[in-house]
Amino acid sequence: MHPISYLQAIVLGLVQGVAEPFPISSLGHAVILPRLLGWNIHQNDSFFLTFLVATHVATAIVLFLMFWQDWKRIFRGLGRSLRDREIRPDDIDARLGWLLVVGTIPAGTLGLLLEHPLRSLFASAASAAAVLMLNGVLLLAFERLRRRPPRPGDYLGDSDARIAKLSWRQAVAVGTAQAAALVPGISRSGVTMGGGLLVGLSNEDAARYAFLLATPIIGAAGALKLPELLGSQGNGVRGPALVGGLCAALTTYLAVRFLLKYFETNRLTPFGIYCLAFGFICTVLFALGV
Amino acid sequence: MTKNRRLILPAIVLGIVLIVIAVIYFAEPAGSLPSFFPGHDAGSGHHHVKHGLLALILGIGCFVFAWFQTGPASKSA
Repeated sequence: MHPISYLQAIVLGLVQGVAEPFPISSLGHAVILPRLLGWNIHQNDSFFLTFLVATHVATAIVLFLMFWQDWKRIFRGLGRSLRDREIRPDDIDARLGWLLVVGTIPAGTLGLLLEHPLRSLFASAASAAAVLMLNGVLLLAFERLRRRPPRPGDYLGDSDARIAKLSWRQAVAVGTAQAAALVPGISRSGVTMGGGLLVGLSNEDAARYAFLLATPIIGAAGALKLPELLGSQGNGVRGPALVGGLCAALTTYLAVRFLLKYFETNRLTPFGIYCLAFGFICTVLFALGV
Repeated sequence: MTKNRRLILPAIVLGIVLIVIAVIYFAEPAGSLPSFFPGHDAGSGHHHVKHGLLALILGIGCFVFAWFQTGPASKSA
């Protein structure tokens, strides 16, 4: 008997793939859904954590492959700058690469230090539902406080050139915001996109930057825990984890394609409303003992 | 990036210190870590791999920073 059935793995994988790039918190949904559906799965169960590793690794691989051409340019830019010992003002790829590095270091640092204590502190589905409402408020606030309103034609021209205009301080701030996603209910892509809006990016550029910024963090977090999936802790979970990972890969691909198109002309607002509504409904249901 | 050659030596020294700290974290269990190290836990056989990784990444970051400081002064950005 598997601790996670194949049906559960399919549902959780499909949801993870959508909820990771969508600004609605994949971890929050992974904590809430089992409780909502009456499954005997708790977010701190070792088998569930091992299962989540597979879905996260799948998400990271898909994100990496979808932006493969960009990553190739970015890696070449990083190589050029290291060779020349300077980031030339006209080298957009190098500048973008180092902005991603500078943004990833604080989030990775905080993730390594705080992941376990925060996961223990916010372990319950009820707290995840409450925090999901907070995520909704944040998304709505980001749109309200954004530095500049969306303009027609925002999505035209070179997105990377616009992102590369971020200052180092702004890159650190946006990257550090990712660490908030360690709390189940706060969305990594949501706070990163919101951070992008606050420093003057358009919705589309903020989404693109969020996906690029998320790839190394999700990939590294997954890779760090991959030995658990491949070791004895993964016994009985590998089959469902593989199925869940494949489902997550499929929906991540579809979700990212949708979002890149969606944010050409649309805002974070609908996701904020969804988080508020879903978080509120779940909070009421959990309070009623569901 | 503003260049400041006076920062090269401190960055290299800090990088070396962080790499040494990383090696200690990788090699020594929590019980054998110096008492002033975060994660020291008398009698524990647990290895703080994450602490080591963190120190390693920050150490490499210091070296990269020092490397860029040795480059030609940039015109802008």
